[in-house]
Amino acid sequence: MSPFGRSLARIWAVALNTFREAMRNRVLAVLVLFAVGLMAFSLVLGELSLHEEVRVIKDIGLAGISFVGILIALFLGVNLLSKELDRKTVFFVIPKPLHRWEFLLGKFTGMAVTLGLLTGLMAVVLAGFVVSNGGTHGIAMLRAEILILLELLLLTTVAMLFSAFSSPYLSAMFTGSLWIIGRNTPELSAFASGKLEGTPLGAVLEVVASVVPDFHLFYISGGNLEGNVVSIHEGFVSWSYVAQAAGYASLYGGACLLLAVALFARRDFT
Amino acid sequence: MSILEVQDLRKTFTRGLSRRKTEAVRGISFRVEKGQIFGFLGPNGAGKTTTIKILMGLIFPTAGTASVLGAPAGDREAKARLGYLPENPYFYDYLSAPELLDMVGRIYGLDRAARRRRIGELIERVGLGHAGKRPLRSFSKGMLQRAGLAQALMGDPELVVLDEPLSGLDPLGRKEVRDLIFELRDAGKTVFFCTHILADASMLCDRVGIIVKGELRDVGPLGELLSPKVQSVEVVWAPPAADADAVRAALREREGEHETTSEGEVMRTRDPSAGHAFVAAVVERGGVIHAVNPHRQSLEELFVHEALEGDA
Repeated sequence: MSPFGRSLARIWAVALNTFREAMRNRVLAVLVLFAVGLMAFSLVLGELSLHEEVRVIKDIGLAGISFVGILIALFLGVNLLSKELDRKTVFFVIPKPLHRWEFLLGKFTGMAVTLGLLTGLMAVVLAGFVVSNGGTHGIAMLRAEILILLELLLLTTVAMLFSAFSSPYLSAMFTGSLWIIGRNTPELSAFASGKLEGTPLGAVLEVVASVVPDFHLFYISGGNLEGNVVSIHEGFVSWSYVAQAAGYASLYGGACLLLAVALFARRDFT
Repeated sequence: MSILEVQDLRKTFTRGLSRRKTEAVRGISFRVEKGQIFGFLGPNGAGKTTTIKILMGLIFPTAGTASVLGAPAGDREAKARLGYLPENPYFYDYLSAPELLDMVGRIYGLDRAARRRRIGELIERVGLGHAGKRPLRSFSKGMLQRAGLAQALMGDPELVVLDEPLSGLDPLGRKEVRDLIFELRDAGKTVFFCTHILADASMLCDRVGIIVKGELRDVGPLGELLSPKVQSVEVVWAPPAADADAVRAALREREGEHETTSEGEVMRTRDPSAGHAFVAAVVERGGVIHAVNPHRQSLEELFVHEALEGDA
């Protein structure tokens, strides 16, 4: 096997373990059940609407996947790395023949596989609800679900960055705050270029809006894109938009991981 | 080439907002050669675990050098040739022992067949065959220690670093682990271990290093470190059946500490010639000598001496 192949095998060993840890955690099972429960509840709400059952199921279903996915990404990103330090399993794994960056990349890969699987599972359940109510799942839904997964992966890298140097509580707080700000970047920019234009606070907000991860990019349904309303039901984003969002998530997430690797590389495990 | 070499190693921790500095290791130097069992001894807080953590690449030294198998501590290639059992082993408790070993085997780059074979061998070797697929969280401390030993040996290492390998084990388990350590040495491996159980260190080590308050007080073969001089003599004896009380009373008047134990009458003296004279007196009065035990310096005495000197 080539050195690259051996490195991949080590990363996969850590990823597989991270995946096992996540899948054996009851909290995740409860969260996924909660998402499915929310979808089931959307059936009741759909009955109350005027022949808009499928629309309600899709809206609530996607919101459920996104919300539960965010909780899972926060939980995994903050917990799984901090737990290694808190429970001192890092004393067992770092002396093994792997680089510290391989360990970190393995943790991320394991979390990404877990998030991909759980998001896919929730998407399949949602598709089942939609089809059983006479609707079609469609490409637009698939794009929306891919965008949600990209948002979760980006959030995980941010959580891992904070976990690389701070406690689980602080990491959760920082990551959660960044997610809230990042989901509201259009409002932040509008505020900075509107009422606060020309003021120091406006300038600060402009910088913040351009530096924080733009999570709004991934949950676009119901929002505006270049003056047009984007909706999962009609006029949703194209594949090229999804590709651009994936590029953004890769670059921003990659930078977070690089920074996490740099911090982790010189850390003393006492 | 030494298997382990530490040169003027120092580690200072900076803690808290006040940036208070603590010197955990203060310029220690030692070597471990191939095929040795080296015991790293010291009281709690002496700097043993800090030194081991530097050697394992878990923390970075403030100054000095530490090399493992010819490479700087923490080097991946060197880590591929060593196995490490941490103190109070914290493993992924949701895994079973075979799953833990499988993960380690993957990191060491073993293929599926080699992993399967090695897992089977090691599980049997450390006596965990009965544990099956139970998760590690349900293991007793002794079972965890055995799982820890198995994972340390998974990569068939040249150097085995064991931090308190005998803690938490029952007497049978301790004997098994001691036998395992001897087996490793006989197979040409080098064993570096840290313990506070001095009886085990005396039994196992070819060489020891004693660290006190971050400084290495003594390092060398046990035979050279321990004084060969007889420090005291213990005579176990019995008075003659006839006139026992009178003989006992008369002999107890002589020099030394006297007591009556379940083994018989015991006399202890720091002066070997007084011991010889006492034996002659017992025989002369018709008594019986059961044993004469010369007492030399033990590792425990050396350790306590070094620790007290460090405190002084």
